[in-house]
Order: sequence, then C-alpha cells, then structure tokens
Amino acid sequence: MANPIIEFKNISKKYDDNPVLKKIDFEIESGKFYTLLGPSGSGKTTILRMIAGFEDPTSGEIEFEGHRIDLTPANQRPINTIFQDYALFPHLNVSQNIAFGLELKKMNKADIKAKVAESLRMVQLSGYENREITALSGGQKQRIAIARAIANEPKVLLLDEPLSALDHKLRKEMQVELRALQQRLGITFIFVTHDQEEALALSDQIFVMNDGRILQSGTPVDIYDEPINHFVADFIGESNIIPGTMTADYLVHFDHKDFECVDAGMRADEPVEIVIRPEDLDITDLDHGKLQVTVDSQLFRGVDYQITGHDSDNHEWTINSIHQTTVGANVGLIFDPEDIHIMRFGEDEETFDARLDSYEE
Amino acid sequence: MGTQKKSFFVIPYLLWIALFVVAPMALIVYQSLFDITGHFTLGNYTDYLESATYLKMTFNSVWYAFLITMVTLVISYPTAYLLNQLKNKRLWLLLIILPTWINLLLKTYAFIGLFSQNGSVNDFLRFVGAGSHQILFTDFSFIFVASYIEIPFMILPIFNALDEINPSLVNASRDLGANTWQTFRRVIAPLTMPGVKSGFQAVFIPSLSLFMITRLIGGNRVITLGTAIEEHFLVTQNWGMGSTIGVILIIAMFVVMFLTRERKGKGGQSR
Amino acid sequence: MKSKLKLSNLYLTLVFVIIYLPIAYLIFYSFNTGDTMDRFTGFSMKHYATLLSDTRMISIVLNTVVIALLSALLATVIGTLGALWINQLKQRTMKNAVLSVNNVLMVSPDVIIGASFLILFSFLGFKLGFTSVLLSHIAFSIPIVVLMVLPKINEMPKTMLDAAYDLGATKWQTLSRVILPSITPGIFAGYFMAFTYSLDDFAVTFFVTGNGFSTLSIEIYSRARQGVDLEVNALSTLMFLVSLLLVVGYYLLEKYGHTRKINRNKMMKGPNAQ
Repeated sequence: MANPIIEFKNISKKYDDNPVLKKIDFEIESGKFYTLLGPSGSGKTTILRMIAGFEDPTSGEIEFEGHRIDLTPANQRPINTIFQDYALFPHLNVSQNIAFGLELKKMNKADIKAKVAESLRMVQLSGYENREITALSGGQKQRIAIARAIANEPKVLLLDEPLSALDHKLRKEMQVELRALQQRLGITFIFVTHDQEEALALSDQIFVMNDGRILQSGTPVDIYDEPINHFVADFIGESNIIPGTMTADYLVHFDHKDFECVDAGMRADEPVEIVIRPEDLDITDLDHGKLQVTVDSQLFRGVDYQITGHDSDNHEWTINSIHQTTVGANVGLIFDPEDIHIMRFGEDEETFDARLDSYEE
Repeated sequence: MGTQKKSFFVIPYLLWIALFVVAPMALIVYQSLFDITGHFTLGNYTDYLESATYLKMTFNSVWYAFLITMVTLVISYPTAYLLNQLKNKRLWLLLIILPTWINLLLKTYAFIGLFSQNGSVNDFLRFVGAGSHQILFTDFSFIFVASYIEIPFMILPIFNALDEINPSLVNASRDLGANTWQTFRRVIAPLTMPGVKSGFQAVFIPSLSLFMITRLIGGNRVITLGTAIEEHFLVTQNWGMGSTIGVILIIAMFVVMFLTRERKGKGGQSR
Repeated sequence: MKSKLKLSNLYLTLVFVIIYLPIAYLIFYSFNTGDTMDRFTGFSMKHYATLLSDTRMISIVLNTVVIALLSALLATVIGTLGALWINQLKQRTMKNAVLSVNNVLMVSPDVIIGASFLILFSFLGFKLGFTSVLLSHIAFSIPIVVLMVLPKINEMPKTMLDAAYDLGATKWQTLSRVILPSITPGIFAGYFMAFTYSLDDFAVTFFVTGNGFSTLSIEIYSRARQGVDLEVNALSTLMFLVSLLLVVGYYLLEKYGHTRKINRNKMMKGPNAQ
C-alpha cells in the first residue's frame, strides 16, 4: 500500500484485564470507504473510538499520515465522528450545531455561515438552519449529524453504526447517499456495522472482526466468495458448510464422492470445510444431480424460495431457488466447480493470501 | 492541567463533606463522651441505659413515630392509588405536595386555633351535640398534626411507584384470570412496596425527632427523642447527655434504614 | 361501578379538605376584626396593617430572604461542582460511597443536624448569628442540589460529550458550551429546592441562631408559644401566596425540563417517533 493514512501497529486494548483487542495490525488507505464488520463485542467500536481519540490503546502505536497520533487528544485530531445516537446538542439549533466545531476554531462569522449552508446542501437539507433539533425527524437528525461532522473538513470520517436507528427503507436510502457523499468528498470513511448486507453494499474494503481480532480483510467480493474460515463464511451471507477432505489439488472429497474444485495448495488428505452458497445450488431431477437430498421445508420469500433438505450423511443443505419444489421429494443438486470454496482449519490471513497467490493468476 | 483544574473546583464540595458531614457526626459521638462538667466519661450511656425515664421516653418516641407512620400510610395509600387513576393526576399530585411548601410552623400554628378550647373543631362538636373536649395538648392532637404534616411525604413515593407500573402488567394480570382484588394483591401491592418503604423512611425518621410539634401541640405531654435533645442542648445545657440521645437517635435511624432498605438482587437485576 | 367511583371521589375530596382546611382557616381569620381565631366578627385588614408597620417583623423577613437567596446560591454552586465531580468518578464503589456521604444530611433528622452543627460551631469558637445560620443553610442544601443536578448529568448521552470533544472542544469548552447548558434545568431546580429548604427550616436554625439573629420560622415559633396572634395569620397568608408563586414557577421549570426529556427520547428512537 502506498501511503496509508492510518496505521495500527500491534494495538492491544484491555479493560480490567479483559482483552478486547488482541495485537491488531492494519493500514487504511486514503480516500476509500472502509467497513469494520463484526458481531457486538468483537472490538470494532473500540477501534473506531481509538481512531477518534476517545480511548487509548493499552499497547501499540497508531499512526496518522506517518506520525504517531495516539497521544494527540481527540479535539486536536483532523478526524470527526458520526455517532449512533447522532449526539446532536439539544440546546442548540441546526446551524448552531453545525457551527459548533467551526466556532471553536475561531472561524469568522461570514465563513461559518457559508460553511453551514454548504454542509446543509451536501446533506440536502438547505434552508434548515433555524430548525430546532427536537423538531427534526430521525432521518433529518442523521443528516444534520453528518453535516456537522463534514463542516469541519475532516480527513477521516468515522461512522459508528449510524444507520441502526433508522427504519429499513430510510436505511437503504441513506446507504446510497453515504456512498455518494464519500465519493464526492473523496475523504476516508470508516464505517462500523454488524449488518453484513450494509457492509457489502457500501464498502471498498471490509475488515471482518471477531473476538478482538481482524479475521479477514478485503473487498466485499473477495470476502463473500473466499471466506477464510467458518466464522466469516457463516457471518457473511448464507452458506452451506460441510466437512470434507482435500484429495489432491483441485479435487475435494465429501459426501462419499470426489468433486472438482478450484482450490489448491493444501496437503494431501487434509481435512477441510467446504462452503457452497445457497444461491449457487440448483435443483434438478435425482439422476442429474451431483448430490441427492430430501427436501425438508420450503419458505417463499418473495424473490425466491428458501429450501432446506438433508443428504444421506444427514448434512443439512440450504438452497435458494426461484423454482418451487415439493416437501418430501428427493431431488438432485447441481453446482459448478468454482461454486465450491475450500477453507482450511486455523489458517491465518497471511498464509491464506499467500496460498491464493501461489496458484491464482 | 485538566486534573489540577478539576481538583481545584471540587475543593468547596470536599470541604463541605469534611466540615459539615464528617466532622459534626464525629463531634456528636465525641461530645457524648463528656459529662456536664467536661470530664471524659461513659456515664452518659450508663445513665441512659439505667434510667427508666430515658428508656420509657425512647420507647414512647418510637411508638409514637410508628403510630404516626401507620396513620399516614393508611390514609396515603388509598389516596395515592385513587390519585393515580385521575385524569390530570400530575396536577392533583402537585396540589397534594403544595402544602409542603408552606412553612411547617404555620401549619402547626393553624391547629392551635382549630383545636383550642373555643376553636372551630370544638364549635363543631358542640354543634353536633358532642360537647366540647380538650383536644390541644393530647396524644390525639399530636398524632393528628404530625400525620397531617407527614402525609404528602408518604403519598409522593407511593404515587411514583404506582405511576411507574406498566399498565400492560395490570392487563396481563387480568388476562391471566385475576380479578381486581387479586391483581392488586399479587401485582400492584408488591410492585409498590419500594414506594411504601421509602415513604416509611421519609415519615418515621423525622417523626422520631419532632420537637416543635410536641411543644406547640403536644404541650410537653409527649416527649420524643427530638424534644429531649433540644431540651438538653438549649435548656439544661447538658450537651453530653443531649449528644448521647443524639447517638441513640442516629442508631435508631440506621436501624430503620436497614429494615426498609431496598433488597439488592431482587430489584437490582434489571440492568 | 358508579357508587364505587362516588366513594373514591368522596374519599379524595375528604383528603383534600383536610389538607387545605388548616391553611384556609389561617387565611380566613387573618381578615378578622377580632384578635382570636375563635369567632369571626367582621372583615378587616387591620392585621395586615399591623404586620406592615412591624419593623422587627419586616427586618426578620428580610433576614430570612437574604439567608435563603445567599445560601441557595452558594449551595447551588458547590453542589453543582460536586455533582460534576461525582459524575466523572470512575470507580463504582467510590461513586456510591461519595453519594452515601452526600446523602447523610438528607436522611438525618433536623435535630441531629442542628445539634451537631451547634457543637461544631462552638468547637471552632464560632460566634452564633447570621454567619452560622448561613453556613448551616448552605450545608444542608448542598446534598439536595447534588441530587437534583446529578440525574440531569447522567441523562446526558455520553456521546454528546464525545461529540463536543470530537468537534474540537477542550474540556473547559465542553463544560461551558455543552454540559452546563444541558443541565441548566437541574441547576435551577436545585437552586429552587435549596431556596425553599432554607425558607422552611426551623429546627436547624433554632439550634445555631444564638440570641441576636432570628428568621421567620423562629419568630413564628416564639409568637405561637405565647398563643394566637392574628398578625401571624396575616403573615402566613402572604407567605402562602409567595409559596404558590414559587410552586407555579417550579412547575413550569419542571415542565420545561420534562419536555426536553421527551424530545431527547424521541431523538434516540429515531424516525418512528415522529
């Protein structure tokens, strides 16, 4: 990576001997949309709060544009945050809220006024200057919170699950707007969420976190198609995870059969886990199927049917299909070699990437 | 720099704790160990424990405080319950609390007029043919006036406890087959217990130490721990004995607070 | 159902009558031509005239108000600083311990407070009078201020402070621009409560006032011990009116604080609340 804007070096954090971050290392490039994705308690918010300056690492260093920043107080960092509950000041109106940081910087009145107007235009709330915070809807508060942060022209904008309080429809709208805003401003966004769909939709880069560690980082497509382990596969999207063994390069054995696949670089007969996404499975008649399953249930979900079944080894299979089937029927499943993704046990990100590089070209 | 600034700001508050919370409590214990001539002694405590008068006075004081609290509770619980069902309950509650903003002395003083030999209450009694009675300077008048003054302090916590009960709990109880009385006994009453307890605290402890009402209304017939302390400090100038009774009062206060404390673990799990 | 409603209304009416009867009685007789609370012999304002020409009484009223205003002001300043300090204490046990100490004077009987302060003042060789009364009133008002202000501080979302800090505010700027404006209703409520505590106090003042200095409560007590004096009725009528004004003011203040709270809840809930 060329010039990382933020770099975490061997960062650990403990609360009363309770580790929440375990030796984290990562780099963040300027001008991209990053997402920290993980279940609650995974440490993602802690990372965000460290970048903002609300928390200090127990050990390790944080660099910002090549200089140490973890000793700089939050109010002196060129970084702003959008809070989950927006944290707008109820005793100030919209323009006073947006002007808050600018006044502290002793900007002159005319400039402040122009900046407030510009920020409001950015979030499409021009003319809302004199509204009281209490008179705004949730979505409007969200936009004002964004306007207040970007008015300060931060180099990095931190977003702490900012959409979680919005209803489904509004959340979708705001996702589109956030993405557009990031591209227009060209600054780095670091977004924290536990919603994998949101992460996939918004990000240039995703860091998947669990239990104080970054398990995998990469583009949404990489992470979706090539999850590093059971946790990531399970957490992101729906998946069928089946135990198997690696017979040879590009050949995997499960359900008493060998299947062609596109993974390599493992030991012969190494036990592995096989991931096949439900949407990659198609139902066909029994004889044409690579696998045979008995259908246990079928749910109509609007866009498709979610069908579950079990094979002769009693492994459960989930299939997302636009075609209906019958509960109790024995059907065949077909899939392509590239739909199979192989995960090794206990492989870390570095060896995973190296192995992928060794045979992918 | 930040911490230095902060500690500078907190100095007055810490000084207050040291001078007006810790020191006075320590001094009252210290003072109780001196007799009237200024000699160090445990005599005050032995005197207290051996004197039938003091023990009887203490017992009476506790007994009267208990009676006052019970009278107050019996009147306040239904009042709070009924108030809570009114439409503008906040406003009505405010009207209940309003008299607490009127100087205590004035309310007491009003009863001197009402209860006097030729006062309105006796006028009324004569009117209905019950004849006039000595009301002022009786146990009755003392308990009545003390309860009168304490009632808002009992209503308020009970009202708040009732107010906090989620209405769907009552609906749930009805839904599960409980009638009004069963709902009250099994749902409302247990949920308002914390309110009753804090009301009990708020009434019982001051009732132990009322001295102004005993003087003006009780006519010195009723002597409470408070009256005794006032007398020793301001009349007989026996500060040692006064402090000893003060220590007894403080102990009584802690006992009451312990008995009516909020049980942790039962209610404390919500977080 | 109907008879039950009637019965409950009857009960409530009775309670309200008993609560307000003595006060109405006092006010009623303040307009009596006679000098007793026994027989109303005609309407007159003469007791008010006596009250207004009673220079001793007027100076006592002034004393009382000065003590109340001053003690409430100082108690509010010290109590608010105390509340801010308590709020930022990290350790839970420490916080609880400080709060318990804070509440000692709230739960202690007045007599104990009065007697122990008397010992304290004599121990320090302090002359009893205006200053000792003022100090005592400040002392017993501080905990109530803390208890009124602390919930307002706790109510403030923690993220608001982070936001101020994040937007470039120093600790001091956060305090003056965010915290203090947010907790203003609590500070006012604390001042108001301290003010009424001071006006109302009898027992503590009675112990620490000495001979030369008197407040209204003390004066009413000594006059009431000598029997009925309708000048006191006139005074109580006026005080009732003042109390009424104060309560209305407090009610409005509370309501203001209450709406803010509701609005904040709306904010937390997001769009569904609108």
